[in-house]
Amino acid sequence: MDFAWSGDQLAFREAVHDFLARELPTNWENIARRSPGSRELTDFSRAFCPKLAEAGLLVPHWPREHGGREAPPWEHFILGELMWEAGEPRGPQYYNVNWLGPAIMAFGSEAQKRHHLALMSAGNVVWCQGFSEPSAGSDLAALRTRAEPDGDGFRINGSKIWTSYAALSDYCFLLARVPEADPKRGITVFLLPMDRPGITVRPIRSVVGDGDLHEVFFDDVEVRADEVLGGVGNGWKVARYALHFERVGIPRYALATRILDRAVRLRGANGALGASAREKAAAAHAACEAARNLTYEVIDRRSRNLPPDGGTSVARTATIAAENAVAEFVLDFQPSLLAGLDDPMIETHHRRAIAAGIASGAAEIQLNLIARDVLGLGLKD
Amino acid sequence: MDLDFSEDQTMLLDALDRLLERHAGFDAEHAAYTAYRAELRADIAETGFLAIAAEEGFGPLDAALLVERAGRLACSAEVAASALVGPLLGANPGDGIAMCEGIGVPTRFLTVASLACIRTDAGLVVAPISTGDVIPLDTVIAYPVGMLNALPAGARLLDTDTAGAVEQRWRLAVAAEAAGVMRGALDATVGFVKDRWQFGQPLGDFQAVQHRLARCEQIVSAARWLALRAAHSLIPADALTALTYIQQNVRTVIYDCHQFTGAMGLTLEYPLHLWTYRLKLLQGELGGWTAQARELADALWDDAGNRLSAARPAGG
Repeated sequence: MDFAWSGDQLAFREAVHDFLARELPTNWENIARRSPGSRELTDFSRAFCPKLAEAGLLVPHWPREHGGREAPPWEHFILGELMWEAGEPRGPQYYNVNWLGPAIMAFGSEAQKRHHLALMSAGNVVWCQGFSEPSAGSDLAALRTRAEPDGDGFRINGSKIWTSYAALSDYCFLLARVPEADPKRGITVFLLPMDRPGITVRPIRSVVGDGDLHEVFFDDVEVRADEVLGGVGNGWKVARYALHFERVGIPRYALATRILDRAVRLRGANGALGASAREKAAAAHAACEAARNLTYEVIDRRSRNLPPDGGTSVARTATIAAENAVAEFVLDFQPSLLAGLDDPMIETHHRRAIAAGIASGAAEIQLNLIARDVLGLGLKD
Repeated sequence: MDLDFSEDQTMLLDALDRLLERHAGFDAEHAAYTAYRAELRADIAETGFLAIAAEEGFGPLDAALLVERAGRLACSAEVAASALVGPLLGANPGDGIAMCEGIGVPTRFLTVASLACIRTDAGLVVAPISTGDVIPLDTVIAYPVGMLNALPAGARLLDTDTAGAVEQRWRLAVAAEAAGVMRGALDATVGFVKDRWQFGQPLGDFQAVQHRLARCEQIVSAARWLALRAAHSLIPADALTALTYIQQNVRTVIYDCHQFTGAMGLTLEYPLHLWTYRLKLLQGELGGWTAQARELADALWDDAGNRLSAARPAGG
C-alpha cells in the first residue's frame, strides 16, 4: 500500500501542469466562468482539445488503435483531476473522454468505433447525453421516448430534459425504448447525429449557467439500425457501464480545494481570517481530502482491473459533502465573493456546486446503492 | 499510488485477523461498562506486532492497520499508543502506554499502563507509573479510565523534536483507533437492523434507516483512508486532516448507531456501548475537532491566508 505518486505519475502531473500553463490564455478564468456547455467554453474546447490531442493528453488511456497510448487508469484520472481543478478547459468534451468513448469501445461495432472514436480523439466533437425525461429522472428505467421499428431502422418520438450541452452538440447518446414487455429490456442506446431532421432543442435558463440544461424534442426522427449501440434492448447494460465512469468522472473536490484556498486568501487579504473562519476552512479541507481518498480507492480498483463496486457511490457521496462544505464556507464568511469581482472562479465553483448532488444520479440514489451494495440492506431472500 | 496490500501486509493482516478472531466474542453474562482485555494486548505483544512500526520493511502504516483492525473489536486493549508512539519512546512491548493530556485529566488506560506520556507546562514528559500514581475512575466511558494527581517520580522531559513527533503519532493513534471503533459500531448496527423486524420487515429495509447508515458508511470508510494515508506520509497536515474529519463526523456515527439499535443499545448486555462509549472519549481527545482544525489551518495557510506549499505535496 503506497499513497505516494510514483515518479511517472509525478512527471505526468508536471507535464499536464506545464501544458495548462502554456496553453490556457490569460483570460481563461473569465471563459471558465461560463458553464462547460456555454457557447464560449464549447468554442474554446474545439480549439483546446485538438491541442491536447496533439500533445497526447486528450485520450492517453485509450488503446493505440483509437488514438491513445494505453496509459494506465491513474494517468487518465490525474488528467481529469487537473482539468477540473483548472475549470475544465475541455468543456463538454470531457464526456467523450471519460465515458462515452469507453462505452463505444466496449459495445460498439467496428464501424462505430472507427468513426466516433476517431472524432473524439481528434478533440473536435461535442456530445450530449439523452437520458433524463420529464417522467424519468433518477428513475431512468421509466423513460418513455419511443423508438418504433420502421423499415430497416427506427423512428424516434418523445422528449428529453435537463440535457447538458444539447444546443451545441454534434451527437446525442440517446436512450429510447423499443416496444418490449419488460421495461428494462426495451431500452436501447442510439448514437444519433443532432442535425437529423425532427430534433428541436430548447435551452432552459438556469442558475448553473447557460448551456447546461435543455429540453430536446424528437418528432419522427429517423435513425438507422447501424446507429444502435450494443444491440437492441441492451441499453440498460450500456448505460450502467457508462454511469459507473460518470459517477466519479468529475473530481469536484479538486476544484473545491482550489476554491477553498482562494477564498481563504481573499478573506486573509481583507484581514478577516479569524479563528472561526480558519476552523471552518480546515474542516472543509478535510471534507475535500475525504472525498479525494475515497475516489482514489475507486481508481485504484479500476487500475487493478477489478469491477466497479459500491465504493463508487461512497466516493460520490463524500464528493457532494466536500463540494457543499466549500460552498458553505464561502457563504458563511464572504458571500460577496459570489459577485465574482475578486475572483471569477469562486462564482464558477458556486454555480457548478449546486448540481453536485443532482447530476449523474441523485445523491439519494447513491445512498440507496451504498445501502444495498455495501451494507447489504434491503436485499430480499 | 497503489492502495492494494503488499504480500507482506497481506500475510501480516491474515495472521492478525486470526489472532483478533480469538477475542471477537462478547460475554453478555459478565457485561459491564468496559470490556478491557489484557490478554488481547498480551497476545498482540507476543507476536511482535506492537513493534511493527520500527520493523525493517514495515512502518507506521502497518502499525495503523493493526490499530484500526484491533479497534473493531468490542473489547479494548492498549494497542494504539504502543504501536505508534511506543517506538519513539523506546518503550518495551510489555509496557502499556497511557497518553495523558495533563495532571488531573481523566485518561484512558492509565490504570493498566506502566508508562505515561504526559502533557505538562514544561512540555511533553514520559514517566513510568505504578498503581500508587493513578486514581481509578468509575465512569460511563468504555475504556478503563484513571487520573494522575501529581507528576510521577522519574518523569523525563522529551526534547522538542521527539515531543513534536510524539504529538503527531498521538493524533495518528487516535485517528486509526477511532476509525476501527467506528467500523465495529457500524458493523454491529448494520447486523442489528437486518435482524430486527418492525411493521413486518427488517428495520434495514426502511429507506430512512438505509440512507443514514449509508452516510455513516461513507464517514467510516473515509476515516480509515485518511488515517492510513496520514500514517504512510507522516505529514503533520495529514494527521490533522484525518483527526479533524474523524472528530467532527464521529458524532453522526455514534448517534445513528444508537438510534437504530433502540433500547437494546442502552443495555449493558448488548455490546454497542463498548464501541460508542469509546468513541465518545475519542471525539474530544486532544481538544476535539476544533483544536485539530485550528492547527490544521495553521499548517495549511499563513496568517494572511496564503497556502503554505510545503503543507502537502502535489495531488492534494
